[in-house]
Amino acid sequence: MSDELLWAYGVVAAGAAPPADLVGVAGGVVAPVATAGLQALVSSVPQAQFAAEPLRGHLNDLPWLERVAREHEAVLERLLAEATVVPLRLCTIFEDTGGVELMLEREHDALAEALGRLEGRQEWGVKVLLDRDRPAPAGEAAHDEGGLAYLARRRSQLAAREEARGLAGQLADQVDGALRVVAIDAVRLPAQNRELSRHEGDMVLNAAYLIGDPAELGACVDALQERYAAQGARIDLTGPWPPYNFVTSAAAEQQPA
Amino acid sequence: MTTIAEQDVALIDLVDRLLGGGVVIAGDITLAVADVDLVRVSLRALISSVASLEEGPPPL
Repeated sequence: MSDELLWAYGVVAAGAAPPADLVGVAGGVVAPVATAGLQALVSSVPQAQFAAEPLRGHLNDLPWLERVAREHEAVLERLLAEATVVPLRLCTIFEDTGGVELMLEREHDALAEALGRLEGRQEWGVKVLLDRDRPAPAGEAAHDEGGLAYLARRRSQLAAREEARGLAGQLADQVDGALRVVAIDAVRLPAQNRELSRHEGDMVLNAAYLIGDPAELGACVDALQERYAAQGARIDLTGPWPPYNFVTSAAAEQQPA
Repeated sequence: MTTIAEQDVALIDLVDRLLGGGVVIAGDITLAVADVDLVRVSLRALISSVASLEEGPPPL
């Protein structure tokens, strides 16, 4: 039995020419495995770290996970610069090239469909953050207030909080709606975990857009930023990303894991 | 506008995409550990409130 496994990054069309000097996860050299008109890009990783048991342990180690995630992402970004790529989920690991070929044959239709659909398109991420101290209606505090006054103030505070939440949701919907006009496809994601992101303010929108023209998207984001700045909104644009959020349904629905 | 390559990409942006996106290959031809649920289970040890990663987009 080999002491190495194959880590897979993504799939490109047979005609694509991936860069020859790509170094991937754990320093392995990235090479194609081709069959059925598709190429999967893979590199060798040591069993000692990536077999089921050690991998399970490493996945609990945030610095290890981060390094591997960045190595996986770096390969996909290099590929993205040269070709249309269907990214594979992190930790897609095969015993040998036979397994990779079997995957390409089995998933051929979904992968080919995704490659066709994604050609010339880019995934971008948009987050909307609202200042915590954005202008909001607030209940008036009063000295020496009685029980009834307290209750009235409390009710007005709760109503103000409810109203602020409603306005934040409306703002998110308006930004999302405007971006969907220029997007080919869109996905709303859960707000990011604050412990990891350390973002300031309230993340009211976290979404991914599949677009054809990054300049058009940029202009749209600039206009939205200008329009909503007075309401304490900050729009954060990242990309182009490998199209992680626009490939999941295609293959996953045909071949549920 | 800056591109990803020019940015210092935040870990959370990677986690957002790498653990929740990308094509998932059926478990019988990949290593069982590649099953995404395991990645999520592992991540739960790192993040106290990972519920938002595991479920679909929440209502705002």
